[in-house]
Amino acid sequence: MASADSNTKPLQTAMKMAKAAIQLDGGNRHKEAYCEYLRTINYISHALLEEAASQKDREMAAVEEERMLRLAEQCLERAKSFIGRSADPPDATPACTSGLPGLPEPPPAAALPTTIPAVSAGSPVQAEQKVTSPKKSGHRRVLSDGGGELSPFLPPEVFQRLQTVASQDTSRKELTPIEEASRLNQKLKANYEARLARLAPGQAYQKTSLTLSLQRQMMENLIIAKARQDALQRKMEERRLRLQEEANRRFAASGAMTAEDQEQRILYTNVLEYEQDHDWPKQWKAHMKENPDATLVSDLVSYLLSQSDHPVVKLLRKHQYRVYNKLYPLVSKGLPQSPALPLRPSHSIHNLLHSDAQWKSVGSVGGQSFTADSSISPSRSQNLHYDNQDTEESHTPATVDRENSFEDLEQFLTQLDWAPLHSSIEDADLGLTCDPSEQPEQDEDVQELEIRALKEHLKAIVKDIHIAIDQLLSLCLLSFECLNTASFKDLCLASIEEAFFTPLWSALVALFRKVHGEREQAFEISMKLYQDASPGDVGVPLKLFPQNPDVLQGSCPYESAVQELKLLVQDCCPQRKLECIVRTLRLICACAEDYRCLHEADSAPQTAAIGADDLLPILSFVALRCQCPQLVAECAALEEFIHEGYLIGEEGYCLTSMQSALAFVESLHMGRADLPADKLL
Amino acid sequence: MAAAGAGGGGRTYSFKVVLLGEGCVGKTSLVLRYCENKFNDKHITTLQASFLTKKLNITGKRVNLAIWDTAGQERFHALGPIYYRDSNGAILVYDITDEDSFQKVKNWVKELRKMLGNEICLCIVGNKIDLDKDRHVSVEEAESYAESVGAKHYHTSAKLNKGIEELFLDLCKRMMETAQAEERVKGNGASQSASSRRGVQIVDDEPQATPAGGCCSSG
Repeated sequence: MASADSNTKPLQTAMKMAKAAIQLDGGNRHKEAYCEYLRTINYISHALLEEAASQKDREMAAVEEERMLRLAEQCLERAKSFIGRSADPPDATPACTSGLPGLPEPPPAAALPTTIPAVSAGSPVQAEQKVTSPKKSGHRRVLSDGGGELSPFLPPEVFQRLQTVASQDTSRKELTPIEEASRLNQKLKANYEARLARLAPGQAYQKTSLTLSLQRQMMENLIIAKARQDALQRKMEERRLRLQEEANRRFAASGAMTAEDQEQRILYTNVLEYEQDHDWPKQWKAHMKENPDATLVSDLVSYLLSQSDHPVVKLLRKHQYRVYNKLYPLVSKGLPQSPALPLRPSHSIHNLLHSDAQWKSVGSVGGQSFTADSSISPSRSQNLHYDNQDTEESHTPATVDRENSFEDLEQFLTQLDWAPLHSSIEDADLGLTCDPSEQPEQDEDVQELEIRALKEHLKAIVKDIHIAIDQLLSLCLLSFECLNTASFKDLCLASIEEAFFTPLWSALVALFRKVHGEREQAFEISMKLYQDASPGDVGVPLKLFPQNPDVLQGSCPYESAVQELKLLVQDCCPQRKLECIVRTLRLICACAEDYRCLHEADSAPQTAAIGADDLLPILSFVALRCQCPQLVAECAALEEFIHEGYLIGEEGYCLTSMQSALAFVESLHMGRADLPADKLL
Repeated sequence: MAAAGAGGGGRTYSFKVVLLGEGCVGKTSLVLRYCENKFNDKHITTLQASFLTKKLNITGKRVNLAIWDTAGQERFHALGPIYYRDSNGAILVYDITDEDSFQKVKNWVKELRKMLGNEICLCIVGNKIDLDKDRHVSVEEAESYAESVGAKHYHTSAKLNKGIEELFLDLCKRMMETAQAEERVKGNGASQSASSRRGVQIVDDEPQATPAGGCCSSG
């Protein structure tokens, strides 16, 4: 009796018996039903008696006992109703309504539904809900710091939630048997309640009967569901093992297993598992075999990326979140500073919660040595002292995770750096962390240190992104082997990159802007100095732009190229940005051709095409007119993410030319004196 | 991928060649002349003479040539390195009637050797031989200089279309030799992809022109 699961057994058995009785009852087999009700009552009283007798360890909970008794009561009621039934017509049964206590609360409604979540807690469906809820990560940030200004970047937690919400719209998960049953039961309960409400207050008998049959149905549903769930789980487990073996076989050829191989193998197992559950991969593969076509490739990949539960998409989200999580602390504290923009140290308040304690340990060192976890700091060769966590533990709180120590170093540097510029701004934090008297001498050093640290972060993040994209591509190619040809692979990569970069680009470029802040400032100064300059002022030969303003009808020369280049910052994917640059250069060539034709209207149009000697000055002019210092950071980022295959092609050439033009513009304000000489060229 | 070089044509070599030279030496005409297509008037790419490509077949091997023009003006000089990084070859053009343009070539040679070492194939080109009567750079001087820096010297005339074909063909052959030598050193090209960013780029034969063959199941 005292076996592990005996706790629930008496009640369940009793329920089963009562159910049988009700079934007989429903089948108009009154006599048998009557007996079955009595047997149930008998069983219940027996079970309860036994329980009561073995005083030592009362296994059955009071709730359980109460439920059993209530069930007995209901069975008794039903049994009573049979007395004299043979005489009465089936519907008119007023006999036993009196004297019996009507059920004050419908017990099944209270009891059964509450057990449902408990049963399904371990089911896979529950996991879905867990994902949607924000993951508790180490850093809790203050989302709104009163009147303080918020950074334009979402905290990683919110970013992650948006990721999942967005992808959940596209596909719904199938319900597990238990979930299905619980839905069914909810419907049953609703019906029951509706029916109960329609009953007259005196009809206790019907009430009881409804209650019992609801209880029975719900119980039944759950038991069936449980059995199905168990069977399903067993099958899933078997299948998982089988697929695992398959994946092992596939990777066996590669010999020794590195950690990456291991990870790849697990991912591949997940893919196989997914493909057992979904038909579309098979269908697409068949399509591709019949008709291997480039347009089909893009369709396939974009379809794949819309399936939020496919392992590729899960991996994509994981990597995006990781990158964003690294970017956020670096970029959320303020945008790249051009002289015109006020600095906003108040952004740092975002991180207050966690970092207070840390600052004390870090800040007290006086700006000469900073501490951080070595594993996250890519460079060890600098003035910064990256200690091991072990030696660090004595004075840092144990709860600190990597990002935080990161963040705090950053924050500390940032604050030191900005403090003198904003002595007028009231900021309690600044007062805490920096001793104003030490500031002036350290300022430059610290600024340099900050930039250097940011550069290292940037390098590490760029590397992470490359690794992430490589991994995504190879998983994609593993999932669909038909994509593994040189040209299809490129298409596949393009789609992956677009999906990967789109939500990340603004944060990514913000970091690039911080790192290239000085260059942007130089660009901006030149931009202002030369805002009214003509193409000739930056070295464009006279024959390549119209001197007569009427020809242009109010717009500036090369206006179409300028407009095109302005669109660059709006795209969120490197490949598209690159295409934008190529279009800009092509437009320049087309415009140049037109302008030259204007000059040579009389003479025969000889095709002396423009070369780099002409192209670069024009491109510099277009960049100036674009009035967008952010181009500097954007192009620096493109440089990192351009495909190797494009490097020596037209895209590579255009990007290189753009970079040269930008660098030339940056240098313009310094060499203004010798401009007339340039003009002569 | 292990399927490299399976087909009859083997690989496609992709080479990057930078074009260097002062403003008026005629490098644009030179390269335009070379990429001219006799059967098509619209031979110039959308980027005109700044960036040109040419597909060649040399001794049964396919070669894709990407020719990068650079700005000759002094003020763009500082940006040179980003143009010629990863180049396999460089064509340095001077005007035989302009001593100054030859001096510029010498400067570029120095810089290229400093930045790229000996892996880059250098061609020094005396252009405008149709104006031989105004020659200011002697043939002997130019050729001995070229030899001294490990470069080859050529005489061309864009106007008369002389010497240009030979120049590019010769350069391609030299770049192929360099690439093959590099492959041998690297152990039969087992890890080419790792080095593709620097130096030779060798891509697998792509089935781009023949959509019916080679896709999906290449068995």
